[in-house]
Amino acid sequence: MSAITFENLAEGDTIDGPKFEVSRESIRLFCDASLDYNPLHLDDDFMKGNFGKTNFGGIIMHGMNNFGLISRMITDWAYPAGAIHRRLETRWVKPVRPGDTIQPTGLIKSKLATAKSRWVLIDVMVRNQGGEKVATGEAMVEFPR
Amino acid sequence: MGQADAFETDFWKDANLRKLWDDIVPGEPRKTIPYTLTQQAIALYCKSVGEDHPVYFDEAYARTTRYGGLIAPPSIHILLMFSCTPADDWMRSPGTVNAGQSWSYNIPARPNDVITLSARALDKFIKRERLFVVHDNVFFNQHGDVICSGRGWTIRPM
Repeated sequence: MSAITFENLAEGDTIDGPKFEVSRESIRLFCDASLDYNPLHLDDDFMKGNFGKTNFGGIIMHGMNNFGLISRMITDWAYPAGAIHRRLETRWVKPVRPGDTIQPTGLIKSKLATAKSRWVLIDVMVRNQGGEKVATGEAMVEFPR
Repeated sequence: MGQADAFETDFWKDANLRKLWDDIVPGEPRKTIPYTLTQQAIALYCKSVGEDHPVYFDEAYARTTRYGGLIAPPSIHILLMFSCTPADDWMRSPGTVNAGQSWSYNIPARPNDVITLSARALDKFIKRERLFVVHDNVFFNQHGDVICSGRGWTIRPM
């Protein structure tokens, strides 16, 4: 594949992010790395309870772990092109649990040149091993002139 | 584990000191604390999400890039949100569910930056019998430059 440039990017081009195996250990490591020790991610007994109308049934991965994986996909794609990761917006659609394998992907949605720079909008999502969407969102990458 | 040793990891311990949804006043600043971002903390964060780009680890390589030296990944604000807030911050309330976030990136954080946070609840509302709070946040480096700014939606414990 040729090097990515603003000019040769087209709507519908895709980006494959890294597969990530979720385990109790990976969740615990994310607790230590993020300092987010919410018992949602650590305490199975706590997670037997209800959260309003929701019952998760066991510990879940941090939503921001999805965010970190998407961001990694975007920067690893942008750096070789001399581009800059400028924005990421995400929503969590479905909980991710130990034993799941998740993978972020991106889909080039549009390009826009402004007075001083050039921008690419990317639809992003994370799916689990069953192909279910667990997170969706949008990223914006700058291709400086 | 370094940073975790100096951090209260039991989020139940100060639970009674934290604001409930009812107490949170949109617009009111949250208490924040400056935080020195170490290379060790960056490396641990990178490990947790598999970040392996040399711009985060290889000083000689990083000097050849547009950044002129080592940087942290953009998503380091995930760590900064907890490292720049005190133990009684309501973001730590057990059962806080993150519904989504959006972040804009200006300049990268770097090892040894002394980072400060300006943060507040921006809005609170009830939707489908769930209690939501919107929070907005801006991280600055020691020069007063904006590193990144972001907004998040959390569902509060009932």
